[in-house]
Amino acid sequence: MNGWTGYILRVNLTDKTWKKESFTEEFAQKWVGGRGFAAKILFDELKPGIDPLGPENKLVVALGPIAGIPAPNTGKVVVAAKSPLTGFYGDGNLGSNVSSQLRKAGYDAMIIEGAADAPTYLNIEDDKVEFLDAAEMWGKGTYFGNEWIYKKHGRNAGVLNIGQAGENKVLFAVIRSLEGRAGGRPGIGAVMGSKMLKAIVVKGTKQIPQADPELMKKLGIEGLKKARELDQKTGWSKQSTNAVLAWCNEVNGLPVQNMRKTSHPEAHKIDGERLNDARIATYGCPSCTMHCGITIHDDEGRESELDYENIGMLGPNVNVFDLKKVGSLNYLCDDYGLDTISAGAVLGFYADAIEHGATKGDFKFGDADKGKTLLWDIATRKGEAGNLLADGALKAAKVYGKNSADYAMQVKGLEMAAYNCKSIPGQALAFGVAAIGGHHREAWIITFELKHSKRESYGPEKAAKVIELQRIRGGLFEMLVACRFPWVEVGYELENYPKFFNAVTGLDWTLDNFWTAADRAYSMIKLHYLREFPNVTRKDDYPPAVWFDKSNADTEGPQKGVVLEYDKYDSLLQHYYDARGYDKRGIPTLETLKKLGLADEAAAAGKHAKLS
Amino acid sequence: MKVTVKLIGPLIYEGGFSEKVVQLPGPMTAGELSAFVKIDKKRPTIITRNGRAVANSDTIDDGDRVVISHIYSGG
Repeated sequence: MNGWTGYILRVNLTDKTWKKESFTEEFAQKWVGGRGFAAKILFDELKPGIDPLGPENKLVVALGPIAGIPAPNTGKVVVAAKSPLTGFYGDGNLGSNVSSQLRKAGYDAMIIEGAADAPTYLNIEDDKVEFLDAAEMWGKGTYFGNEWIYKKHGRNAGVLNIGQAGENKVLFAVIRSLEGRAGGRPGIGAVMGSKMLKAIVVKGTKQIPQADPELMKKLGIEGLKKARELDQKTGWSKQSTNAVLAWCNEVNGLPVQNMRKTSHPEAHKIDGERLNDARIATYGCPSCTMHCGITIHDDEGRESELDYENIGMLGPNVNVFDLKKVGSLNYLCDDYGLDTISAGAVLGFYADAIEHGATKGDFKFGDADKGKTLLWDIATRKGEAGNLLADGALKAAKVYGKNSADYAMQVKGLEMAAYNCKSIPGQALAFGVAAIGGHHREAWIITFELKHSKRESYGPEKAAKVIELQRIRGGLFEMLVACRFPWVEVGYELENYPKFFNAVTGLDWTLDNFWTAADRAYSMIKLHYLREFPNVTRKDDYPPAVWFDKSNADTEGPQKGVVLEYDKYDSLLQHYYDARGYDKRGIPTLETLKKLGLADEAAAAGKHAKLS
Repeated sequence: MKVTVKLIGPLIYEGGFSEKVVQLPGPMTAGELSAFVKIDKKRPTIITRNGRAVANSDTIDDGDRVVISHIYSGG
């Protein structure tokens, strides 16, 4: 087999054993890698209803056939497990040297089972796996942990680690790498913490098997050069992702005050221009051609790495318009291992709930200093508020009651990213039908809606665009595994990716093959959802009620009085289901599943819930 | 005719300003205004007028706020 190493490393933390397992070429071609591998493995190996924070859950680290090979932005890793935040399959990707090191160690994926009885870290070097004492790192943040590991294992080691949030099973704890990268928004860091696994360290010395390594080397070098040229030509890296903050503010899409408002007169204080002015360094992932991490000094003099999502959610969403203070909130999230999007959403929700009398507390919008204290309380589950907010906005809302769930800004329990879509129907749909809950990673169509459709349209063209992008962003890039930025932001041609894939595997795939594989992975994740929630309804694919609430509409500006409309949103959802081959609940029909080669998986899911 | 023009992201460095009031020599379309403030015609952009997207062929009126942006894709 070329392209894939053909092996998965299975590690059991309970009895400190490990084994190398082979997989077939049929499995490889059907599931490609990354998200595809993880969704299939977890479906086959997890029983529905298990406690996501119990030893029965499994943590999967998965790579794809071009991961770790020099080419545009291939230094990514997918991490996945049953999510403690959403209750079904959850995943995320992050940049890490684990991408190349695990492949060079001879594995395309790692399955971590059981739970250690004391703080542990794994040290993997080719065919050796060690279960080492992590007591010195336990209770410490991710920056300390990273440095501690680098001193022992060298700076070129691949490292995945967690902070205090993961240790304390905060339901939106992430896994971190390279001191600036984070992934696994739906609490995959909490799953790692529940296993008392503080870190994973990987080094490999083998060759990654490739059908035509000379061709891949040529394509990879050309691709790196081209993608860098496109970045320089467009000037994208000047402000990186945070250029979009000023634009969102102009088009009424900025998350302000727990997404109550869509723009703010002080937004210019934290926009891309200010970020570029304050820049002290720039960071990216391995093989990156367009670094997105811009660091600044925060209000305590620490180096904090920022991009749009964390500025949007820890800034305007909590009414903080001081870039250094936003930097400070971001630094703490990164050190504790909290997801910055969910952290901003949870803080915003908490301030909103206090304002609306759903709970009592002394946190107000704009109070960054109290926000810092709250982040520590959340990361350590300290006090009543910290412990409850550590479970995410939706679970907190269920405790608070008083209709506060209406303004818990999440879908399926996962807090939404930094786009206020109460007057942007297509992106609201993209959040509603994202595979793992309210994520922007899989489809972002706001410029399409404004430029190529009509903002107020709920037409099938928007559902079709969401599906097109899900196949590319949530499918191709999450399975290969690579960063989507060169294609999505600076126009590096998508057709290059099948060329890379074919060079390493010796196959002859076109983009159409990837769309089929992507649809299969999406259906697989839907079967995870059905198995866990057999009473699923289409309402599960709705965004929060506050986006439909006329009393929450903008009171001035071009979107004055505009909110989402229930009947029209429902028809947009139906366009999506029809195009996907899903039933009225948003679950793939038996016919769709059979077409995708998922008859066995359908039969397995059918034991727990009805398929149509 | 005066309009306020705001540039977003890398266009700021291309046009040489972030936001300013621009005196126009006469009626212009959105596309013509973009060229007038020295944004490369080949660069794909999205233009909004008073918060709503417009086509390059749409006319700009006195007092409008025009925002010209690189096309972002949500990271």
